[in-house]
Amino acid sequence: MNYSFNSNFPWAPTERIPFNMKNLSVTRDRSTLVAISRVASATNRKVRQNMFKKKYCALATLLLAVIPLQAASKINVMTATEDIAALAREVGGDLVTAEAIAKGYQDPHFVEPKPSFLLKLQKADLLAVVGLQLEIGWLPPLITQSRNPRIQPNQPGYMDMSQYCQILEIPQGQVTRAMGDVHPLGNPHYWLNPDNGRRMAKALADKFGSIQPANAAQFAARYADFDKRLTEAEKGWDAKFAPYKGKKVITYHRSWPNFCERFGLVVADYVEPKPGIPPTPAHTLDLINLMKREGIKLILVEPYFDLRTPNSIASKVDGQVLVLMPSVGGNKEITNYFQLFDYDINALINAFAKLK
Amino acid sequence: MDTLSFLLPPFIASLILTGIHAYLGVHVVERGVIFVDLSLAQIAALGTTMAVLYGIEPHGMGAYAVSLIFTFIGAAVFSTIRGHQVRIPQEAIIGICYAVASAAAILAMSKSVEQTEHLKEMLVGNILTVSWFEVGKTAALYGVVGLFHFIFRKKFLAISMNAAKAEADGINTRLWDFLFYASFGFVVTSSVAIAGVLLVFCYLIVPSVGAMLFSERIGPRLAIGWTMGTVVSAIGVYLSLKIDLPTGATIVCTFALVLILMAVFRQLFWRKAATRLTTAAPNSPAAY
Repeated sequence: MNYSFNSNFPWAPTERIPFNMKNLSVTRDRSTLVAISRVASATNRKVRQNMFKKKYCALATLLLAVIPLQAASKINVMTATEDIAALAREVGGDLVTAEAIAKGYQDPHFVEPKPSFLLKLQKADLLAVVGLQLEIGWLPPLITQSRNPRIQPNQPGYMDMSQYCQILEIPQGQVTRAMGDVHPLGNPHYWLNPDNGRRMAKALADKFGSIQPANAAQFAARYADFDKRLTEAEKGWDAKFAPYKGKKVITYHRSWPNFCERFGLVVADYVEPKPGIPPTPAHTLDLINLMKREGIKLILVEPYFDLRTPNSIASKVDGQVLVLMPSVGGNKEITNYFQLFDYDINALINAFAKLK
Repeated sequence: MDTLSFLLPPFIASLILTGIHAYLGVHVVERGVIFVDLSLAQIAALGTTMAVLYGIEPHGMGAYAVSLIFTFIGAAVFSTIRGHQVRIPQEAIIGICYAVASAAAILAMSKSVEQTEHLKEMLVGNILTVSWFEVGKTAALYGVVGLFHFIFRKKFLAISMNAAKAEADGINTRLWDFLFYASFGFVVTSSVAIAGVLLVFCYLIVPSVGAMLFSERIGPRLAIGWTMGTVVSAIGVYLSLKIDLPTGATIVCTFALVLILMAVFRQLFWRKAATRLTTAAPNSPAAY
């Protein structure tokens, strides 16, 4: 049985509120000290200490009164992945705070639960998940144990983003063994088509509007702006990628059907014989033969898979292994939904250019 | 106090694990079958995988029953391989069972129609997200197993400490070995489902090893093991919260730290006392 450690240490858990409190209390400290030094000669030690305490009490009450108000005005959104968080920020702007549980450099199939996830989920107004069983290995118990009634499945604060998107690879009719591996609900990597990004942004904007009707117009306007920018960006990506339409590639996991369909790449086969199953010799041999026969040179791999098998396959066909980023936050350059496609399309274009 | 309410179920769960595993660990270490829990857990996981392969819901009673049947088959294997004349060490057989069960589970998954990608994760629990219901259920189950072991403690201890002597005394070692491995497999399978493989292994072995540093008798060893398990659980859960690290792995590393501290302590302060103890009471174990 595999027990996978992941290495996401909480490098900088910057929580805004305690930080403010620290800053504030420092400045208040100084003024308190000044005040104290003025009256110090006339008062005894005890009175001084009392004043000190009172000032702190007053300060604490002030902070306690201010912070919840400030927090209440923002919609607290937790998301399963950084892609959804990025979209929430696009349409939510300053009116929401969005944070993802699985970071972009992590495999969203496997996330090691940490105590902070429970605390964050407990405070969330909204939880947006990818769905289609992508997070089934780790998220359901976190939701239950967060004891936050708002974000339980089928509650208004729970959004399964897959319901708003076009899903590929949904099995039709009766699933039989002869069909080989079939994902029961369809492929969960749907966010890699900008059109699905648009649909998710729309759904999020609508949801935010229903949570804060007073700001609904603002969310709608932000969505309209996002839609415009995305359409513009798509034109650029299409123009750039036009020469490579119809190219065949191999992918490691089934992460890229939406991306490939949108940008006109053809996925000929996968390195994994089935999702989660390590490559078998016969399958690897078939793959090498297929690549030789059809002149396929490129193998696309997610950053969290072992590169040894893809590299050995690529070396046998004079091909190349390319690590594409499946999510926002996959590396430091990719901080929003647009940069995700910028990065992947540029990487693909460079790889194709090198192979020529 | 919100935080505390989140960490209370994992903490109570870890106390329950300490309770039964520190005791079973004494047997396991005494028998020298250190990896038997990993092996039995893997055999149980193979059972669940086979159940899923035949279309049984992985979290239902059906799959649970299949995994228990597999565990009992494993227990039967382990109880028959022990003979005093056999040259092959038991650990070898246990290791082989582990490897074969793991590999067979991979084969079964590769033939499955359903998405089995997440099956591994679904079978391995995480102590952070344990629910009160699971805590209660586990406490009740382990209470029954603990009572069973308490009633027959003389027989279980006799075969664990000195099987040849037990047989000479007329105890059916095959039967009691099977009962031991069956109850042990039952506990381990349930524990892995709530706490994960690594943590269960640590609760089983580390308290027992830590206690052996200080005492040879069963009673004090149990007391030291239970104390160590409780203290480590508390520190581990606290550290996991403070530094925000995965709870199970934090407890495992805390175990290692505490064990090192105990070893250092023994080296510095305990030597004399230990020698005095062994000269005063030479080879007199089994004082429960």
